Amino acid sequence: MKSLQIAATGMAAQQLRVDVISNNIANMSTAAYRPRTAEFSDLMYQQYLTPGTISSQVGTVVPAGVQLGTGVKPSSVSMEITQGSLRQTGSELDLAIDGTGFLEVQLPSGESAYTRDGKLNRSAEGQIVTKDGFELADGITIPEDARRISISTDGEVVAYFASEAQGQPIGTISLVRFVNEKGLEAMGDNMFRETEASGSPNRLVPATEGVGILRQGYLEDSGVDVVQEISELIEAQRGYELNSKVITAADEMLAATTRVR
Amino acid sequence: MSNAIYAALARQSGLMTEMQVVANNLANSSTTGYKSDRAIFAEFVAGTSNNLSDLSMGTLSGHSYDLEQGGLRFTGGSFDLAVQGEGYFLIETPQGQRLTRAGHFQLNAQAELIDAAGNRVLNAGGGPIQIPEEATNVSIAGDGTISFEGVIIDQVGVVAPEGQMMRAGNAMFTADDGFQQVEEPKVVQGALEQSNVSPVLEIARMIEVQRAYEAGQAMIEREDDRIAKFISTLRQL
Repeated sequence: MKSLQIAATGMAAQQLRVDVISNNIANMSTAAYRPRTAEFSDLMYQQYLTPGTISSQVGTVVPAGVQLGTGVKPSSVSMEITQGSLRQTGSELDLAIDGTGFLEVQLPSGESAYTRDGKLNRSAEGQIVTKDGFELADGITIPEDARRISISTDGEVVAYFASEAQGQPIGTISLVRFVNEKGLEAMGDNMFRETEASGSPNRLVPATEGVGILRQGYLEDSGVDVVQEISELIEAQRGYELNSKVITAADEMLAATTRVR
Repeated sequence: MSNAIYAALARQSGLMTEMQVVANNLANSSTTGYKSDRAIFAEFVAGTSNNLSDLSMGTLSGHSYDLEQGGLRFTGGSFDLAVQGEGYFLIETPQGQRLTRAGHFQLNAQAELIDAAGNRVLNAGGGPIQIPEEATNVSIAGDGTISFEGVIIDQVGVVAPEGQMMRAGNAMFTADDGFQQVEEPKVVQGALEQSNVSPVLEIARMIEVQRAYEAGQAMIEREDDRIAKFISTLRQL
């Protein structure tokens, strides 16, 4: 009886939806986290009777045919491109990206990773690093005697020394854009890796070509909308229950069949 | 065997199939752009061996798709599109052109508009849609016109089938008799059309099917008893 298997695919789909939602809710406080949504599509159809063929019983042309569906499958779990709200922190190395770009991070393996989490620090050597200690690809070193630094919206980093009123530019933080951000591969730790689907990274000066601007002293909050997630969670739970009802009903039908001598 | 049992069995097998249709609808209650399905049964008359009388039986003869508009869920995604009212998006798959209401689109690495499975979405002229790489806030108007910073780039194709549609999986349909452009399409950017499955109706139908099936089984049992009694009566004569 196929109804059992079909309902099982339905339950599995709703289960996956709950998994995605729970990961979103778990990351409701992760800086710059972008919520994911699970999308589904129907499985292939079995052709019992193709429309337009001649019916065997009475010789008429079948108008609509008979196609039986076989269930549901997940088609994608994609990232929503929504900007999280910006939170003021006042810390001089906190950077929020107001736009679509990513910061490029240099991994120890030589690979590049991309992040929107702008909680930056200064390493022992004075380099600008992420909170996990990975260096920014722009390779900016803050001089030891710098009193403070300022980062402009277009990425220019200026260091101010002891008593001088004028600062000295020490480098530029660039931003990276991808044609299809949804195609990036999440690596965990708020970082992404380029894939064939995302396209190659396009390094740009902030405030150009729609890459967004930098905001010093701000951090981007998680983009998770808790109210929406909870309502989705309830929907997924009810969807799961509906499919389990089909299993019960199909089982009772089978039980009726086996009762016949 | 008795004709009554044949007729009941035909109905039982039809009810099993109908259960499968209900199960598929409920499994797809979260599928973007899914249209729910109804099985249509038709009577057919089968000749019986003794030529005394013909026997009428029911068989599954076709489907009707419930093409009612599903609710729109707002996502804010710039390439999440929904059609309101008439029409389908046109998708180019390796098997040919397909129609769909599932507008969960994105860009590929070449900045072409694609669906969730990587198939290209076609424009009003039947060609792929290319978005300029530097475009970030692309706006898509109600008639499907795609523009960026006031400059029109392309137009998403919205078509209507000319004859019957067949399901092709992945929330897509085939239209063998061709299709034509919808004259005044209504495209909504930042929204997805949800499945139009009504859980209440489906559950009601499921219960109906289940009870009808049980009634059919009871009838077969009673018919079996009747034949058994008939035989034992004959034996006593």
